[in-house]
Amino acid sequence: MSRTTPRRMQSPATAAAPAPAAPLHRDSEVAAEVKALFVSGKRDAARERFAELVTLLQRRAARIAYQYLRDVHDADEAVQDAFVKVFTHIATYREALPFEVWFTRILVNRCLDLQKARSRRLRWTVSPSPSAQAPTPEPAAPQQTPEERLLSSERGRRIMAAVEQLPERQRLVFTLCQIAEQSTNEVSQTLGVSEATVRVHLFRAVRKLRGLLARER
Amino acid sequence: MRKSHLSDDRLLEVCLDQASFAAEQQHLESCPACAERGTHLARMLADVTDVTVAEADAAFGADRLAKQRARILQRLELDGRSGRVITFPASHPHGPSLRARPRMRWIAGAAAAGLVIGILADHVAHVVPSRRGAPTQIALQPTGATLQAVSTSMSEEELLGLLEVAIEGTGGASLGPLDDLTPRVWEVAAQ
Repeated sequence: MSRTTPRRMQSPATAAAPAPAAPLHRDSEVAAEVKALFVSGKRDAARERFAELVTLLQRRAARIAYQYLRDVHDADEAVQDAFVKVFTHIATYREALPFEVWFTRILVNRCLDLQKARSRRLRWTVSPSPSAQAPTPEPAAPQQTPEERLLSSERGRRIMAAVEQLPERQRLVFTLCQIAEQSTNEVSQTLGVSEATVRVHLFRAVRKLRGLLARER
Repeated sequence: MRKSHLSDDRLLEVCLDQASFAAEQQHLESCPACAERGTHLARMLADVTDVTVAEADAAFGADRLAKQRARILQRLELDGRSGRVITFPASHPHGPSLRARPRMRWIAGAAAAGLVIGILADHVAHVVPSRRGAPTQIALQPTGATLQAVSTSMSEEELLGLLEVAIEGTGGASLGPLDDLTPRVWEVAAQ
């Protein structure tokens, strides 16, 4: 499937020409092989092949789930469940659809289920005070990774706070477009909504982020 | 000309979907001011993306990802095997139970009902006088000189407090005969 939207936002003045039609993605190729093995009854071989799919998509899946659920344990559970579900239902995978889209749809649905379950749990528990809930920023250590340095910077904290303020739907669309680097067409397939709706959510998300970050400048 | 500059929202649309705005793209190439605003917007988006990715990557380090991967593969392996059926622990084969003795079960039910009725009666005895309107003076000790005022309105906490008093205090003692009638589990088991 060709991607009509650039994966990462570029400066409009320096936008490159549309990329040529991309070949079948590696994950879709591997998924087709896993499905063939699975359907022919070679379950062990299919499982071994599936390990490569896990390697290919795991980090990206963790990013999506973490951005959606904002909890490392829930995100871990969502990613695990999504991979297990994908493998057990691999026989129903249609090669016409990019595997990435199919997998992301399953992952997002699992995230939704976990979020609902968490809401039900929280209804019966006393929520901690906001001060206890928010992680306290740690002082800058000399052995910080580049990610930690970025997050502990003033700019990083402001951006995280701004993203946190996005409505759930906008944050999901923003995550899928910007972090998972999916096109609006792919996101519409993942979420089962029209591409126009995806564009509206994305537009509103970015406009809100721009407003929040400009206000704090 | 100032009027020909792109609005913020239009610039944002161009940023998000460059292929659909050919005219605006041409404008950006010829207008340094709009081009700079566009660059600034694109940089802001890139920053947001970098930070959110870094946040997730910091939460999911290499160790956690390795453990997660191992766990996924382990679950897939276990799913392929047929589950071992573990029998639920059965009850003691020789021990008598209430289910096996309908008469005992009936007595236990009647005793429980009596206990509930006793508690309710005690509660009504405290509540009913207070429903008659103005605050009343109730003599708790007729021979004594002191009288205690009881408020007519009773909150939930007060009601629960009264129930506790009824159970633990003198009210509980009045329920003693009912309690005596109630067979103990070990007595039933012995029969």
